[in-house]
Amino acid sequence: MEPIIEVRNLTKIFLSRRAKVTAVDDISFDVNRGEIFGMIGPNGAGKSTTFAMMSTLIKPTSGSIKVSGFDVEKEGDRIRPIIGIVPQQYSLYSDLTARENLELMGNLYDVPKKVMKERIEYYLKLVNLEAQADRFTGRFSGGMKQRLSVVSAVIHDPAIIFWDEPTTGLDPQTRQAIWKLARKFNTEGKTLIFTTHYMEEADKLCDRVAIMNVGKLVALDTPQNLKRASNSASLEDVFIHLTGEEIRD
Amino acid sequence: MNIKSELKKSWIIMIKEFKQIFRKKALMIPLFAFPLIMIIFFGYGMGGTVKNVDILVVNDDTGTASSSLVQEIGSFIPKYGDVKMFSITYTKDMGQSEAERKIDAGLYKAVLIIPQDYSERVAKNESVTLTLLTDSSDTTSSGIIINFMKQLFAGTAGSLVSLKIPDIYGKLEYLDFLTPAVIALTVFFGTVQSTGYAIAGERQDGTIVRIMMTPVSRGAVILGKTLHQLILQLARAVILILGATVILGVTMNGSWLLVALVLIIFTFGAVGLGIAMSAISEDMTSFQQLSLLFTLPSMFATGVFYPLSSVPDWMRWIAYTMPLTFANNAMRTIMVKGQGLAFIANDLIILIFFAIFYFGLGVYLFRREV
Repeated sequence: MEPIIEVRNLTKIFLSRRAKVTAVDDISFDVNRGEIFGMIGPNGAGKSTTFAMMSTLIKPTSGSIKVSGFDVEKEGDRIRPIIGIVPQQYSLYSDLTARENLELMGNLYDVPKKVMKERIEYYLKLVNLEAQADRFTGRFSGGMKQRLSVVSAVIHDPAIIFWDEPTTGLDPQTRQAIWKLARKFNTEGKTLIFTTHYMEEADKLCDRVAIMNVGKLVALDTPQNLKRASNSASLEDVFIHLTGEEIRD
Repeated sequence: MNIKSELKKSWIIMIKEFKQIFRKKALMIPLFAFPLIMIIFFGYGMGGTVKNVDILVVNDDTGTASSSLVQEIGSFIPKYGDVKMFSITYTKDMGQSEAERKIDAGLYKAVLIIPQDYSERVAKNESVTLTLLTDSSDTTSSGIIINFMKQLFAGTAGSLVSLKIPDIYGKLEYLDFLTPAVIALTVFFGTVQSTGYAIAGERQDGTIVRIMMTPVSRGAVILGKTLHQLILQLARAVILILGATVILGVTMNGSWLLVALVLIIFTFGAVGLGIAMSAISEDMTSFQQLSLLFTLPSMFATGVFYPLSSVPDWMRWIAYTMPLTFANNAMRTIMVKGQGLAFIANDLIILIFFAIFYFGLGVYLFRREV
């Protein structure tokens, strides 16, 4: 398996009220090309911070990340065109229409006009928003916003999709649709990395799952192997086994 | 990334900003009506001109020249009004200190002292000096009175008659004084607020993250937002000046190009200030409070509504730290005095420094933001 993301000795220390908080503590792993990679962990485990560093949003304190061979700190400009990010917030312009939101992203990504037009039609159809194409997104439901948010992130046909909590707060129908979409992107050869709180989602969807706890990487394997190793019936049991029962804030 | 692609990205951002702003229907009204409403309410409310102002004329002269002068003052009806400007009381044999006490007591807004030999000297073409005392606590009235008297003497008796005035401020009529500064104020408020809100709002909605994930430089984002503001604010200024001149009859003596030049430089600084403030505030509410801290003192300390010469020294020093002070001055010099580049050069240089400082600060803080 060829790695598309290489994380080495990654550490992130935040200064919070003059106290040092180690959000990510010396972790190393690879994400392989073409896999669906899940990151799970209790609140404060460091998965969002790792996620933000991999997607060039924040800089590591020490250690390195290479995305498709490019260094996140020095070559962010080379990385951004080949990744797409679906933020946890829907992050759409509410006073632009669905189509205009997509056009804006396409323009900023330098997608050629003709290609963009076709892609917009294709994606709007794919996520069932054709009829709503020219409505302002401010009036959209959560599910509609999430679907549009996903296609906004792939309008430039990225090789890697970063997806932060894809189905949090969505109804079962939308969840199923989002999973289907994720699998579709994956079969097209895209690498998917997402964070989630839903064990079922990680179990069903991911080729490999990384479990983080208090800034450390505590396990990384296929869902089957994880379950087998800890002799558990579900990924949730593995998770509790590895991260404890204490509630985090 | 090359310059062409940078400019293209800036253009995309600018178009997006315009789409967003033109869809906020409720915003359109205050955007264009706010400054006009300010001029109307402050201009007329605070006395666009003064009427029936009590003036005491101390006339120790018995000649015809002085009586025709007094009559002229008494019958004057100002440009923006329909009532006589002054209500005159006559007296004689009153010294300057006694006259000052009358003003202290609030009996008169001004006292004009005509010397005993006024008519005689005017007839002989000799120079003569009149004394004008004004109530400096009421800057609006006294400014208007002084201005009126100056014009009167400049027009009627030639340069031989001079006026001794203890303190001088105010030029032309109040609306003429107010309008240029209200335009500068509006541009300042509008730019700081809408730039800051746009950025704080994008951060709150998370859209800024999405934009920053695209291959667009922070410079292009800022330039796009700046271009949007420049066009918007210049359009506002043009509409406002036309509105003020057509509806209110305000004078526009100077060059539109110079007005545009001043406003462009000024807008750059205001965009930077808006970005800087939004970069250090956590959300829209903190931005709102922070921006009020900057904009409100500007509104009252920089001589928008009253001349800077009437404020205490400490306030004047504060005013000199604010770009609006210099923008006001430049706008008045152009619009009211009709002067050219040479007369606003100092203001422009200071405004350029402010613009570079605030714009640089905004770009710097915005860089560290995401």
